[in-house]
Amino acid sequence: MSQSSSSPNPFISASGAKPTCMQMLQFMLDNEVTSEQKEYFKNHMDGCMPCFKTYQLDMAIKELLKNKCCGGDAPSELVDQIRSQIAQKIS
Amino acid sequence: MIEESPRQHYTDREKEEIFNKEFLPHINSMYNFGYRLTLDRDDAKDLVQDTYLKAYRFIESFQKGTNAKAWLFRILKNSFINDYRKKSKEPNKVDYQEVETYYNSEEVDRQITPDLRVEALKDMIGDEISNALNALDVDFRTVIILCDLEGFKYEEMAKILDIPIGTVRSRLHRARQLLKEKLSDYAKSMGYKNADV
Repeated sequence: MSQSSSSPNPFISASGAKPTCMQMLQFMLDNEVTSEQKEYFKNHMDGCMPCFKTYQLDMAIKELLKNKCCGGDAPSELVDQIRSQIAQKIS
Repeated sequence: MIEESPRQHYTDREKEEIFNKEFLPHINSMYNFGYRLTLDRDDAKDLVQDTYLKAYRFIESFQKGTNAKAWLFRILKNSFINDYRKKSKEPNKVDYQEVETYYNSEEVDRQITPDLRVEALKDMIGDEISNALNALDVDFRTVIILCDLEGFKYEEMAKILDIPIGTVRSRLHRARQLLKEKLSDYAKSMGYKNADV
């Protein structure tokens, strides 16, 4: 891509290893990126269809997981049970 | 425990305050974690209760104001392994060596295009994703919960799970592949005939 000639890939690790698309994707997905890396990847996606499609899909799955698999409340009596158990242990 | 901080000394009032302000606010996340691990609401309650009792008992190894959530998650995970996993039959231990090799191989990038489409996900308005997650092997399920549901960073996950960061990453990668395979099956059953092109 044109960007790679102008600026070095900020994903290149200390060992000098060039990251694969999949590795960059995962860092993006897990939000383990610097703003510089994020910018680089966004540019990269413009020219890399597999990355673009996979990123869209993976983010959609992540969103779905968040919406569907959490947010439920613990049973209301649980806190009281914990408190009374601790009170027993202390006394 | 998680940061190996020196033993603290707290008055009863301080303990109470830490417990109320730093530990209890995480109870819903803890319960969800417990439920996703045990897949049973009663077991989840017991597990969360055990975890909070342990957290209180070892409160002086927790440094006030540090990462209580990660500390609590680590206790819960350990309780699960020690107390629950032994009881249940879970013979299919994952071969992580294989996972690592897989992750580092050149083959991976070639199958980067998944056989699943964003449009298919939009129709998964029921329990499909939850069932798909629950069907994963517990070690794979765990990393998805910690990362995607709870937003822990690699470093925190490594501490919670007592595994190197590289293993966190490879396990996450594999977990996501497996999850996609399951979601792709759902998509096909919902009539997305060209789910796998």
